Amino acid sequence: MQNADGFNPSLMREPKDSYLTNGYSLKSWLLTKDHKRIALMYLISISVFFFMGGLYAAAIRLELLTPGSDLLQTATYNKAFTQHGILMIFFFLIPSIPATLGNFLLPLMIGAKDLALPRINLLSLYLYWIGGILTLYALMQGGVDTGWTFYTPYSTTFSNSYVMAVGLGIFINGFSSILTGLNFIVTIHTMRAPGMTWFRLPLFVWAHYATSLVMILGTPVVAITILLLAIERVVKVGIFDPAIGGDPILFQHLFWFYSHPAVYIMILPGMGVISEVISSFSRKKIFGYEFIAFSSIAIAVFGFLVWGHHMFVSGQSIYAGLVFSFLTMVVAVPSAIKVFNWTATMYKGSISYDTPMLYAIGFLGLFLVGGLTGLFLGSVGLTVHLTDTYFVVAHFHYVMVGGQVIAYLAGIHFWWPKMTGKMYSEFWGKVSAMLVFVGFNLTFFPQFILGYQGMPRRYASYPAEFQVLNIFSTAGASVLGVGLLMPVVYLTHSIFAGKPAGDNPWMLPGLEWRTQSPPPTLNFDEQPVVTWEAYEFGEESGLDLEEARRAAGRPSVV
Amino acid sequence: MSTHADAHDHHHEPGLQHQFENMKQQEESVSIGMWMFLVQEIMFFGGLFTAYMVFRWRYPMAFAEGSNHLDAFWGGLNTVVLIVSSLTMALAVYYAQKGIRNMQVIMIVLTMFFGTVFLGVKAIEYTDKYNNGLIPVAGWNKKSTGAEVAEKAQAFAFPWEVKTEAAAAKDGEKKTYVNPRGDFQWNYGHELVKQAETAGYLTADEKIHYYSNGQIDPFKFQEKVRMFYFIYFVMTGLHALHMVVGLLLMAWLLWKAWIGTFTALYYSPVEMSGLYWHFVDIVWIFLFPLLYLLGRHFIH
Amino acid sequence: MAETHSDHEHIGIPGYLAVFAILIVGTWITYVVAFWDLDSVFPGANTLLALAIAFTKMTVVMLYFMHVRWSKELVWLSAVASFFWLLIMFAFTMQDYFTRVSGVFSS
Repeated sequence: MQNADGFNPSLMREPKDSYLTNGYSLKSWLLTKDHKRIALMYLISISVFFFMGGLYAAAIRLELLTPGSDLLQTATYNKAFTQHGILMIFFFLIPSIPATLGNFLLPLMIGAKDLALPRINLLSLYLYWIGGILTLYALMQGGVDTGWTFYTPYSTTFSNSYVMAVGLGIFINGFSSILTGLNFIVTIHTMRAPGMTWFRLPLFVWAHYATSLVMILGTPVVAITILLLAIERVVKVGIFDPAIGGDPILFQHLFWFYSHPAVYIMILPGMGVISEVISSFSRKKIFGYEFIAFSSIAIAVFGFLVWGHHMFVSGQSIYAGLVFSFLTMVVAVPSAIKVFNWTATMYKGSISYDTPMLYAIGFLGLFLVGGLTGLFLGSVGLTVHLTDTYFVVAHFHYVMVGGQVIAYLAGIHFWWPKMTGKMYSEFWGKVSAMLVFVGFNLTFFPQFILGYQGMPRRYASYPAEFQVLNIFSTAGASVLGVGLLMPVVYLTHSIFAGKPAGDNPWMLPGLEWRTQSPPPTLNFDEQPVVTWEAYEFGEESGLDLEEARRAAGRPSVV
Repeated sequence: MSTHADAHDHHHEPGLQHQFENMKQQEESVSIGMWMFLVQEIMFFGGLFTAYMVFRWRYPMAFAEGSNHLDAFWGGLNTVVLIVSSLTMALAVYYAQKGIRNMQVIMIVLTMFFGTVFLGVKAIEYTDKYNNGLIPVAGWNKKSTGAEVAEKAQAFAFPWEVKTEAAAAKDGEKKTYVNPRGDFQWNYGHELVKQAETAGYLTADEKIHYYSNGQIDPFKFQEKVRMFYFIYFVMTGLHALHMVVGLLLMAWLLWKAWIGTFTALYYSPVEMSGLYWHFVDIVWIFLFPLLYLLGRHFIH
Repeated sequence: MAETHSDHEHIGIPGYLAVFAILIVGTWITYVVAFWDLDSVFPGANTLLALAIAFTKMTVVMLYFMHVRWSKELVWLSAVASFFWLLIMFAFTMQDYFTRVSGVFSS
């Protein structure tokens, strides 16, 4: 939308004092208490981990190009998928949106100067780094081969790898996540600007509130589980390891008590981003605000009642399987409510297909597929056939990548002008959105078929009749890889050579768009007072949208 | 950061941080933050309690047998000590609210004193378990010399009072080491199981875990008791770790109170540390009956 | 919560001592009843009673020592919610163990 002809530089305010110009020394970054700087440091860190996790994914896909285990030895393959999972889940997906976009935007959206506990925020970044470094150390020493779930006895009797170091890394990283969640909850409760009532909060904030609840209530349980596992390995007392009298199912119960809700840590913030983007680019008040807000909370609560659906065939009682299967169907309801409301928001909206919106529309389709196949897997009868096949792999990639990663990209593109004050190339943005969508589907859709036909996950070799679909999948992965690398290039380029974006490039009423881009250190020049409802696009928003439109050089769309 | 912060003129209140508008907002934030932290702590200990529950449900009599060998007197005494420290902590907050510095300092010192007493008693108990060869870690019971030490344990021998094998050899003493590999040992009988069997409490499921060929298999039973001691050590150990953190917090608080930081207008650090201290107390309130008092009624 | 505190005296020193007395008596009762054979009334009665007393003690500590009684709804909510979530963890884990029929992992 960066119309070169309509662009009027004289109306642009050159950002003078922004959070980026407030000190250039290394110390001014490493010891900052500014949530925006911490968010940027998170952004860079998680990108590094995402890249590394991606390398493992590339190795896996290359190995699966042929039926035999020729590129990677089976033991190496075990390490590759384990480390892909650990890096992507604990070091990318869980902190992805909350720690970067959430950190950056939460105070801006509610009209606060900073998060309520800035030092805790910095501490959580450092814990993330320490956990990450420990994990990287373990990977360099030889890695782990337990699967990202650390199931006993893979992680005890049969493990000859660096389980302890990675476990410690995840333990520490867990506290980073807990502290972020804690900080968000406190901030949302106490730091809202005058007039910013609960039901005027952007849905992004509601989604982060729900995410934070899960972080605080779930993460400590996995921390203690990993601690017990570590103690068990040291002192050789069977608590989880069946070989010495422990109970592996207890490990799975405790692990999934966190790790299933953690799935919602990985999707709820994405849903928050999508709510923002869909409403913004449909230029329409979101349909069913309360329903979306409360469905976030409902997902966070019900998410804690369904963990047993990961254990249907692991020796859990049949009765427990039935209960967990039923509740799994229940948790689908709030997710469906969201999808209906997003669709209804777009209905009769004046939709513009900017890059964030393209990503968001991709999200809708992919999340729908991911969610519906989740219902297959939640049915206790059908799942016996599908457990540990590529159907499961495809399902959670549709939710995690098709959901969270795409939402993350939508969010990054959406708020990039706010974060950096610069506009990226819209053309390349659209190309990357399309490539990611096409590449993603080509990678993971064949895996549904493979899984349904019975190809098990976590093996380096497979029968030759599965090769065609695997070749499709690997081809798609390379397209996806290109699509994911492109934003790194053009976004970085835009920092140096991008056009100034203006304070409100998308002409939106949200509070974060009413301060300068990039924002000053204390976010607002004066304490904002909120007098409008969320997603108010009309006159009531009190914003001269016409002027903002002229300033950004965008054609009038209303 | 400072340039912007200084531009705002509400910095006259002591201890007000830049991101807040006023003291009320700051105190509310800190208080909610602390409560969220405690929620996190509850779930952290909750995982342990789940493990306790599963294994106690599975091996109730082994747990009772193990629990009977814990000293309920010391456990009870520690409960009282911790409750007293909770009282002094509550009073420290009370005096902080009143802005009375001297009583604040006294109460914090008393809290620290009782906290230290608690850890001291804990150390005595751990030493006792050590001397009885009841550390559930393979190889850590090497110094145990069976009956002789069991006798000495009544007088609470510390590790350094029990001669190691090498030292004993140097002294030319002849001793029989019953546990050269330092395994966990259960030489304290199986009366509870037998009583439970006669009383009809022992289910067929439970018998599978303890019995071989229709009678108690000492080795199988020992492994289940070892599980109890493992959970005991993890739970109390983690609790003791929280006590140590609490004591460090108190030391910091003592210094702050000593220099007169806290007034009737600004005392939230005292209050927040108090919340933490009471939380640790509450954990112990549950640990005491769940670890020390199982199956006591069988023997009396 | 500054203003709440200056408004309220809470319960004062006599109040704190009363709470203390309740806690000590509770500990004493816990200790004594552990030696009574209540399991003959119904299995698990001893544990149930011990937990009931522990819950009472906890409630008193939270209400008075931790000032929950005078705190905002959010503090009440977080206290109740954390125990509710503990209950979820206990109940949903144990429902599995209680309903195992047979097999390698039974009981």
